[in-house]
Parts: sequence; structure tokens; C-alpha cells
Amino acid sequence: MKLAFTQEQEQLRRDIRAYMQELMTDELRAELHQDFKGEGGGPLWKECMRKLGRDGWIGLGWPKEYGGMEKGPMEQYIFFAEVAKAGFPFPFLTSESVGPALASFGDEDLKNEVIPKILSGATNICIGYSEPGAGTDLASLKTRAVKGDDGYYTINGQKMWTSLAEFADYIWLAARTGDEEKLGKHGSISMFLIPMDTPGISITPVYTLGSVRTNATYLQDVRVHESRLVGAENAGWKVIMSQLNRERLALVSHGPSTAFLRKVCEYAADTTLPNGERLLDQDWVKMNLAKARQGFEAIRMICYKQAYEIAKTGNLDMAEASSAKIFGSEFLVEATRGLMEVLGYASTMHMGSQHNVLGGEMERMYRTLSILTFGGGTNEIQRDIISIFGLSMPRPMRA
Amino acid sequence: MDFTITDEERDITTLASQILTDNVSPQDLHQYDSRDITRFDAALWGQLAESGLLGIAISEDHGGMGFGFGHLCLLIEECGRVLAPVPVVPTCLSALAIQQFGGAADSAVLADVVSGKAVLSAAIHEDCNDDIYAPTCEVAAGRLTGAKHGVPYFEQAQSLLVVAVEGGETGLYLADPAHESAQGTALWTTTMEPQSYVTFAGTPARKLGDAAAVTWFLERYITALCAYQVGACEKMLRLTAEYTTERQQFGVPIASFQAVGHRAANCYIDATCLRLVVQQAVSKLDAGEDAATAVNVAKSWCGDASHRISTSTQHLHGGMGVDRDYSLWRYALWAKQNELQLGSTTYHLRQLGDAIAAGDFDIDL
Repeated sequence: MKLAFTQEQEQLRRDIRAYMQELMTDELRAELHQDFKGEGGGPLWKECMRKLGRDGWIGLGWPKEYGGMEKGPMEQYIFFAEVAKAGFPFPFLTSESVGPALASFGDEDLKNEVIPKILSGATNICIGYSEPGAGTDLASLKTRAVKGDDGYYTINGQKMWTSLAEFADYIWLAARTGDEEKLGKHGSISMFLIPMDTPGISITPVYTLGSVRTNATYLQDVRVHESRLVGAENAGWKVIMSQLNRERLALVSHGPSTAFLRKVCEYAADTTLPNGERLLDQDWVKMNLAKARQGFEAIRMICYKQAYEIAKTGNLDMAEASSAKIFGSEFLVEATRGLMEVLGYASTMHMGSQHNVLGGEMERMYRTLSILTFGGGTNEIQRDIISIFGLSMPRPMRA
Repeated sequence: MDFTITDEERDITTLASQILTDNVSPQDLHQYDSRDITRFDAALWGQLAESGLLGIAISEDHGGMGFGFGHLCLLIEECGRVLAPVPVVPTCLSALAIQQFGGAADSAVLADVVSGKAVLSAAIHEDCNDDIYAPTCEVAAGRLTGAKHGVPYFEQAQSLLVVAVEGGETGLYLADPAHESAQGTALWTTTMEPQSYVTFAGTPARKLGDAAAVTWFLERYITALCAYQVGACEKMLRLTAEYTTERQQFGVPIASFQAVGHRAANCYIDATCLRLVVQQAVSKLDAGEDAATAVNVAKSWCGDASHRISTSTQHLHGGMGVDRDYSLWRYALWAKQNELQLGSTTYHLRQLGDAIAAGDFDIDL
């Protein structure tokens, strides 16, 4: 056991950091700091995505046959963490989870159409899983795709929380294609990759606490050719599971939290109290910062451990991945509270305000965190996974 | 970031686990609970010596196996898993420091550690002193004066490491515990581990090293206690998973209640984080890198995780947790002793806070 990076990995980290510093211009920051633009989608952001594609970064972990750099999971994690530290909203879902799932399960024509666009930073894909009545129990979804004699499916239904749909080119859609009674609720679902400009698809915005826009997406008599299926008909659950597994590594990283910790430390070092002492030298401030550091160090190690597991076995250790998701999300909420205490009352001032602190980033930050504890698989389900797979306890009762 | 457990490491864990689980059962530990018998299993100590494990981190020149601190921590983790009634931690950690800073005159004591003849101890804690790095015990002209609290296995120890101050400088010293000027008062510790309150009135003491040697020694000792708790915490968790799976109420295993499963899952997360941050500290110490922050992080986690896992697993066991005929209660004792030994969570967070105030802002360099 040797828990250190290779020289090549350290160099990669420095390269990415330098690259991202150059990419994050003041103009881009200003675009991203607009309410409901923090997730990207603006013209400067789109330009940066193309540049990241041209310079090869999007394909960092992709096989060479697709034009990727074929780096390992550890290098990919280093990339996620540095990009997140820089504050760039990289659409990981497209390149790191939907993309690889498409590469595994899609047919050649579909792959040839979509994958080059993903790797060049020219396309975005939103995810259509959740519905008004199907969240944690995803397999109870009701969106229905009925196949006609002409090889076209007709799809009707409603999806919820389709983030980035407003600038997505495709929707990665789960729909019921089979007889649930006969095939079971997991065995009657299919996956489709559908252009967003297909007639019958419409979206309405949902504005959220964190100034992040998400959407409700409606599908009314949407006609989709069978060539848009990803994997076989009624074999969609496997595709969904594969996509969700890949999502986990990108979901929790120590990048953004440690970037904030650094900024708060710098602020406290530069701030003088009326008695002439530095804010950073107050005992309670040091304690808040130390508590944040204590937890972030654990998040960092647990993320490295997962990257190591993927590199070694091709899979995540399920209980450890769930531990990372739970601790990473819940601790970040607590640590942010402690860091805001250090910044003081001014940390509640919005980015658009005069006399805010750290450009108002913390005010936005705390509003975005609550989604982490239920998004990407709610923490209750993650705890079930730990008790079942990590501790060999019996499955919890459902109803 | 290579978390791979080598064959060598696996062999050591297997060997240690085999000897310890064969020789330490809750029934065996029961004999020490009345405090009539000293908590020291001489036969087990002999077996550990015979297998070579006591010399795991002692060089081959002294008859040891010549492995590093990380390998020693594997043995210590297994000791924590069964709460072994032997002084592995004070003996092996003191031996490590003697090997690092001692001279040719110290070869004999190292050989005695390897063969199981010698028990060593370390005098670190002081009463009414909240900083283990700033002792009040004083050395002048080779004589030690002052008092130390909670010195483990003082009565059995052949040699004693002491953290003391000389001319304003903290240093690491070697003292003779059998000297008449060193008087021990036996303590009733929460774990039944034999410890003494020791007063020194001009005890001969030889300097092994300066403040840097103290740091070298304490960082490893602290990390060893963390490794002990990794084993102890995982055992508490396993006992709880098994017990709640067997125990039935309302006609079903209580483990099938989400409220129970989730509390156990919280313990699993704590144990996972503890293991990883301890591995980080061990890895840095093994590589000879600056490990100050990693050690603070590890010990602060050790206190938090030990406390939370101990109290949660007690709770999930109901009355069984406190029943002295079942094994869990003893783990609660060690969780508390090791939470407070060599600096509590708050102490180590405070050190971490001081490092941050001195400019350590970044987790990644």
C-alpha cells in the first residue's frame, strides 16, 4: 500500500489546474454567475466546451478508438476534482456516464452519430428517468412507448427534474415498452436516445432553491424510430444501472469543497478584526476550519479509494460508493455551515449585491447543497445498500 | 494511490489474526475484570515472539523481520480486533524509537523485545497538562524529575521512554523504571490495562533525541492507537450486524428495520473513513514524509468514530451491549481510553487549526 500519486499524475494535476485557470476568464465567470446560468449553457460556456473537446480533455478516460486519451480512473478523478475546484460546470453526465453507457450498449449507427459530438464538446444530453410518481422507485415509471408496424414507437408521458434540457440536444429516456404483468417492472423498460427537437417534446422550467434551473419534460405522441433504442427492447434496466454506476464517481469529489475551504482560509487571513487581530487567529475560526478539513480529508481518501477500485476491478465497491455519496453530501452541508460562520453575516449576501463576501459564492453554495443528499440516489437508499452489501444485514422491509 | 494489500501484508494479518483469535476469547478476558490478575497474557506474548511478530519492525540485525511501521500497524489492528491482553503498542512503539535514535548499547534491549523477554513502556501523559508535546517533567545533568500519568505496564517494563524537557528543549529520553527514584502507583484504568502514576525524583535518564525525535515518536504512537481502533471499531460493527440479524422482534430480525440498518450504516461510514485516514497517515509515516496533518486528521477521526461507533453499537444491542457475559462492553472501554489517549479529537483539531492558521490552506499541493 502506497498512498501517493505518481509523478505523471502530479504533473497531470498541475497541467489541468493551469489549463483551467486560463479557461476561467472573468467574462466566463460573469456568465456563470448569472442566476440560472450556473450550470452552463451560455455562449462562452459552449465555446469553452468546444475548446475542451479540441484539446482532448473530454476524452481523457475514453478509449483511443473513439479518439480518447485512454487514461485510467485515477487520472479521470484528478480531472474531475480540478475542474470542480476551478468552478467550471462540466457536464459529466454526458461525457462520463451516458456516453460510456451508450458506447457499451448502443448500436454502431447511434454511436457514430453521437459519440464524436460528445468528445468534441458539441452536444449535451439530459436524462429522462424521474417522473411525478417515480423517483426512488424508478422502475414504477409510467411513460409508455408503443411500437407500431412501421418500426416507430409512439411515446407518451412526463419526466421530472430533466436538468440541462433547455440546452440539451438529446434526451436519454427510460420508457415502458413491455407488459409489466408478464415481464416484471424492471424487465419491461427500454432506453432511448432521442433528439430534443423531435416533434411532441416540450419542456417547462422549474426554478430551484439554488438558482439552478431544471425542467419538466412532456412527451406527447412523440414518434421515435426503433434505431433510437439503446440496447434491446425491454433490456433498459441494465443500461440504466450501468449509467448510474458510472455517475457515482463524478458525483462526489473533494474538488469544490476544498476550493471553498481555501478561499475561506485566505479571506480569514486577510481580514483584520477591530482589535487588530486576524480573523484566522481566532480559536473558534481555527476550530471551524479544522473540522471542515477533517471531513474533507476523509472525502478525498474515499474518492481516491473508489478510483482505485474501478481501475483495479472495473467496479465500485458498492458499500464504499454509498458511503462516499452519503458522507460527501451530508458533511458538505455541515462544513459549509461552519465556513459561513467564519465569513459572518455578509456571507448571506447574494452575488449581485454590494458588500457581499467572496463574491457571494457562499450564498449560492449553501442553496445548492440540499439536492446532494437526495439527488443521484437518495441517502436512505444508500444506507440500505450499506446495511445489505457492507454489513450483510437483511434487506429492509418495504411497506 | 495504490491501496493494494501485498501478499506479505496479507500474510502478516493472517498470522496475527490466527494467533490472536486462537488465544483471546471473551472468556479469557473475563479473568482480568476483577483486577486481581494483571492484564498480561504471558503465554500469548511468548507465542507472538515465537512467530516473529514482536520483531516485525525491528531490523534483521537484532533478530527482527525488518519490515516497517505500516506492517507493525497490521499487527496492532488485529490486537485491537480482539483487545489482546498484551503490551504490543507500548513495547513495539518504544522499540521502534530506540531502534531509530538509540546506539550500539541498545542492541540488547531490541533483541529482548524480539524474543519476548522485554516489555517496554512510554511515559507521555502528565496530569494537568493539556499538551503532550510540552512536558513539565524535567531532565538536568542526566537526572529526571517530575510525574507522569497513565504509564502502561510500568511494573513490567524493562525500559522506559520519557518525553521530558531539558533547558527549555523538549526531548526523548530513556530511563530505568527499576531505579529506586522512580515510584509507581498502580492505577485502576477503565480498560483494566495495567498503568501507573509515576514520580521521578532524580531518575537516571539518557537522551535519545531532540524535539524532532519526540515528534517522530509521538506521531507513530498516536497513529498506532488509531490502527488499534480500526480493528476494534470494525469488530464492534461486525458484532452488531450479526446480533441485529439474529435478534427477532415483531417476528422479524431487527436488522430489517430501516432505523436499525441506517444507524449501523452510519457506523460503517465512520469505520470506512477512519480506516482510510489512518492508512493515509501510516503511508506518509512509512514514506518518511511530513505527516503532521495526516496524524491530526487520523486521531481526530479515531476519537469521533470510536465514540460514535461504540455508543451506537451499544444502543443497537440493547441490554446485550452492557452484559458482561457478552463481548461488546469491553470494546466500549477501549474506545473511550483510546479516544482520550495522546490527545482527544478536540486537541488534534486544535493542532490542525493552528497549522491552518500558519498557512496550510490546501489539501492537494
